[in-house]
Amino acid sequence: MTLDCLIAGVILQDAEKMSIVLLGINHRSAPLSIREKLAISYGEEEKALGELKNIPHVREVMYLSTCNRVEALVNMKPTDTVVEELKASITSRGNLSPEEMGKCLYVYRDEDAVRHLFRVASSLDSMIMGEPQILGQVKEAYRLCVGQKTSGVILNKLLHHAFSVAKRVRTETAIANNAVSVSFAAVKLAKKIFGTLDRKKVLLVGAGEMAQLAARHLMDNGVDEIIFTNRTYENAVKLANDFHGLPVEIELLEEKLGDVDIVISSTGSPDCIISGEMVTMALRRRKNRLMFLIDVAVPRDIDPAAGKIDNVYLYNIDDLQRVVDENLENRLNEAEKAESIINEEVARFSEWFAALEVVPTIVDLKNKTEDIVKREMKRSHSWMKNLGGEERENIDILVNSIVNKILHDPVVGLKKESRDGEADSYVAVVKKLFKLK
Amino acid sequence: MEIMFFRIALVAYFVSTAGYIISLFVGRVRVAKVSMWVFSLAFALHTVYIAIQWMGAASTPTANIYGSLSFVAWAVSGAYLAFQTKTKTRVLGVFVSPAVLVMMIAASAGLMDGVSLPSALRGPWVPVHVVLLLTGGALFALACLAGTMYLLQDNLIKSKKVRGFSGLLPSLRDLDRINHICIIWGFPLLTLGIIAGSIWARTVWGSSWHWDPKQIFTAISWVIYATLVHQRMIIGWKGKKAALLSIIAFAGLLFAFIGVNVFFVTIHNF
Repeated sequence: MTLDCLIAGVILQDAEKMSIVLLGINHRSAPLSIREKLAISYGEEEKALGELKNIPHVREVMYLSTCNRVEALVNMKPTDTVVEELKASITSRGNLSPEEMGKCLYVYRDEDAVRHLFRVASSLDSMIMGEPQILGQVKEAYRLCVGQKTSGVILNKLLHHAFSVAKRVRTETAIANNAVSVSFAAVKLAKKIFGTLDRKKVLLVGAGEMAQLAARHLMDNGVDEIIFTNRTYENAVKLANDFHGLPVEIELLEEKLGDVDIVISSTGSPDCIISGEMVTMALRRRKNRLMFLIDVAVPRDIDPAAGKIDNVYLYNIDDLQRVVDENLENRLNEAEKAESIINEEVARFSEWFAALEVVPTIVDLKNKTEDIVKREMKRSHSWMKNLGGEERENIDILVNSIVNKILHDPVVGLKKESRDGEADSYVAVVKKLFKLK
Repeated sequence: MEIMFFRIALVAYFVSTAGYIISLFVGRVRVAKVSMWVFSLAFALHTVYIAIQWMGAASTPTANIYGSLSFVAWAVSGAYLAFQTKTKTRVLGVFVSPAVLVMMIAASAGLMDGVSLPSALRGPWVPVHVVLLLTGGALFALACLAGTMYLLQDNLIKSKKVRGFSGLLPSLRDLDRINHICIIWGFPLLTLGIIAGSIWARTVWGSSWHWDPKQIFTAISWVIYATLVHQRMIIGWKGKKAALLSIIAFAGLLFAFIGVNVFFVTIHNF
């Protein structure tokens, strides 16, 4: 048993049974319209965190909100009412009907919750598998909950474990290269079309992670002007500041389309925002100079009909992905490798977590025997004082080693049962037989 | 003695063609680079050969179809080398070099140390007419080649097959630029060549226009090229349509140059 498990066990001595629960929505379970409603704006996280923490039986909580997911990670007493209250608290800000909520909210418990967290942190659950931002966002969410003191022994351990899993996945598999190579593929294609990217203009619609990555690579390859537009103008301004670009209002999208050579679109709009007609008009205005349209949004932002127009080359995220997939098998291998790393780590964490359950009992048992030893030694004090120091020490050692030998098998047995999930009854028996509290 | 230059040039063209093709498979830039230098050497020898012929009395290098082919090959090589230094599209050589080699082999079949010209071809306008048209034709051949490569690359990118062969082709923009420049330069040469020819025709045949199939097909090609130049310069055509039209126009021109002699009776048959 590791030291931190012992320490955690001691801290949690009075604790009842605990359960790790993760609930939330992501880009797969919910359309953007719902994700948007549930996402909390900057600065409101603390309030949300406080609300969740105030639900009875919730011991620790972390709240993660990105453009692709809203999730709460909770350590709590395992009762269904708490889960319902958590659900209600998360969805209360979205004004969602119970049906809507039921459809897109997922709840993971214990091992599944741990696995999900590890997958999220390792970017296996991301829209673009392997994109690097998500780990930073998880770290930020954790920092916030540490700051708000809503994390405790379990979440601290769990999150640090998640960070190390993410690192392992990153270094031991090629998953992380994937996102990078998708945007490199975009750059390579652009070069195939334009020869050189010097003096080319790029329009970035929306603020998706992938789009930003691609924009960064295009800039590294000679693009010198990037125009940013966004349904929320402030976001465009923010990005434009980051990239030294030019923000424009979304209403000017159609007009700007004629000025640029490359368009990268990544909005969360459910409908196409760039129609074939708009592209035809833009092309006319730019005298048929070639255009490269990159649509990394899901659902798509650019009407597929635009790709059929002469001198216009349209690639969506799947197309780019296909370009990247040198061979599919290899990629699947990497994903499989990552999943097996995660399974391994989930098992390790679960072992630690399960052992927590028996730790208080083991500690009690050891304390009790120690007390007995101390008492008995005291009683024998009268005749032992005639012995020499060395002999007395030897008796001490002898007694302790007998006690430890006797305790060894029950302690190991308890730990083993905890691994197999059968600890409850054994803990009860031990408590009863040894008259522990 | 000039034949020797021709033969060595032919061998050099052969070596560079082989080199270019090998470079395709080996994927090494160095092989293509060496091929380019061998190609340049071949071009230099070829230039010497044509210069000697030119200075030789009573014989122009373009007096018959064989001489003309050799001249076209020379012009194409020259134009290609000029582009090579400008656009760094070495891969074009993979297409140009074999084309030149084929023309040279065809030309070598009818190589003579000098032909006696029919009386209709003895005049100052004849070499002007022939040289202008053949040079223009060579540029159009390059335009057609670049256009074909453009269509190939365009198709590959559109159908998202961007690995493999697509990587060997130059970028769309470079191909379009080569096509553009060749058309822009080829067109005045073609026009002037036709004018020179019609001036000479008036002197020997009495009138400039004879409804001769060769004239008709050349005129058709000229109209297509004129349209293409207009669309490119004024309307702003680029890319696919321009490439396609340059291929069609060249097909017409090629037919006027060679096909007409095979399928029609023409007074313009030397």
